[in-house]
Amino acid sequence: MSEPPAPATYVLITGASSGIGRDMAISLSGEHRLILNGRDAERLEQTRLACQAPDRHRCWPHDLADVTTLASALPAFLRQHDALVVGFVHCAAQLKVLPLRSITIAHAQDVMNTNVLAALEITRLLLRKDVNSKMLTNIVFVSSIASQFGARGFTTYCASKAALDGLMKALAVELAPGVRVNSVLPGSIRTPMTETIFADPVTAERLVKDYPLGIGLPSDITHAVTFLMSDQARWITGHQMVVDGGRSANISA
Amino acid sequence: MADLNPLRLDGRHILVTGASSGIGRRTALMLHALGASLSVVDRDEAGLASLDAELCAGNGVARQVADLSDIAGIEELVSRCVAAGGKLHGVVHCAGIQEIMPVRTLQIDGWRRIFAVNTEAALMLGKCLSSKKVYAGHHGSIVFISSVMGMVGSAGAVAYSMSKAALDGMARSLSLELAPRGIRVNCIAPGFVRTPLFEQTERLWDEATRKAVEDLHPLGFGEAEDVAHAVAFLVADTGRWITGSTLVVDGGYLAR
Repeated sequence: MSEPPAPATYVLITGASSGIGRDMAISLSGEHRLILNGRDAERLEQTRLACQAPDRHRCWPHDLADVTTLASALPAFLRQHDALVVGFVHCAAQLKVLPLRSITIAHAQDVMNTNVLAALEITRLLLRKDVNSKMLTNIVFVSSIASQFGARGFTTYCASKAALDGLMKALAVELAPGVRVNSVLPGSIRTPMTETIFADPVTAERLVKDYPLGIGLPSDITHAVTFLMSDQARWITGHQMVVDGGRSANISA
Repeated sequence: MADLNPLRLDGRHILVTGASSGIGRRTALMLHALGASLSVVDRDEAGLASLDAELCAGNGVARQVADLSDIAGIEELVSRCVAAGGKLHGVVHCAGIQEIMPVRTLQIDGWRRIFAVNTEAALMLGKCLSSKKVYAGHHGSIVFISSVMGMVGSAGAVAYSMSKAALDGMARSLSLELAPRGIRVNCIAPGFVRTPLFEQTERLWDEATRKAVEDLHPLGFGEAEDVAHAVAFLVADTGRWITGSTLVVDGGYLAR
């Protein structure tokens, strides 16, 4: 197979080292070149090796809580690999269940940085002509149904996901028609991020009861993101797409 | 590689209402192209017959001419569909009446007719699918075409708005009731899509109005095809964990 002409186009997936991001990376790897972002270089590399044609994909280890250095790190990475980004999927998220009294402002800022501000900053950078040649056409944020509902111990997570959805809508309006922007709102999916929640048998049992279709799989979210990224969704922008096994429709949950 | 095309619908029998034109027609053609066999329902016999020219060969299509405002006749209609094409896996309700009626001219018969076709027929079809005599027992999916007008308002659209908002509410409760049987229930809320129904409305507008309405959609007006793609996604296994939801397909109309 002959090498494609440089620069090559990529889809950037944050939070790709585990959970939904990892599943998405593996699933999209047949169709797209990927830039895989995560904190842990070793686990990112494992994701890359699990992808189809691992040599086509690039790992970009960067902790998104460190949002201020993105403005130098991301353009440098893209230059180094002669890469242009056509699609951006923000899966990275921090979730720590904490009662309000235990929350510090530093923790809250950390959560906002990873879950929201990194999405804003990466989008801003990818729309700069000198960084990405106006190649970005598609953005999907993995939000959560926690952007719509409250839950005990979820203050920072709920606030960050609601902010992410607000950001999504504003971007959808501002960037149309050149760039489509949507979010997917998953209910409870079993991933390393939610493992501590499912570790408590009482909570786990309650959760299963709350979900008319049971607990979801990462692939359920991947399918939704894949659809939104495709031309089949060419007229969908600014939408919060709920993928939650019926949880939000369930008044008795 | 497993999962070659998770949108495939081979072996599934889907009932599509309003199939002779617009969103219903594109939906029927799309589901059929993905491998589903179909029961297509419409008042317009010639419109239904004209589908044949666009269908690819293979899986069966049974045409059923019926007026869905006859709610009492729907049970029998569904029985005919089952007799012709076997038990059903899904229903997509695209049939709809859209009429601009200022509230002062609104007559009870007028809004009841809108409500019958847009809303009550949907409920009856859902009720029918839940029956053991009708439902194939697996991969169940119901999709109602609602509208952004069910979520925002417009003068003159009272009856239409309420008929569509009711569909969103219906999907939420019906999804909970039918989840134990493996039937998912969702709505798709389109913005202004170029269909014959839309063109009827468009004819009443001057150019400035048309432009103003189009500008409300950051991506412009949509095509029936855009909605059909979303229906396919929800009916197929790609929508396996989606129920009780409304998928908005509106070119950004509601985000503004």
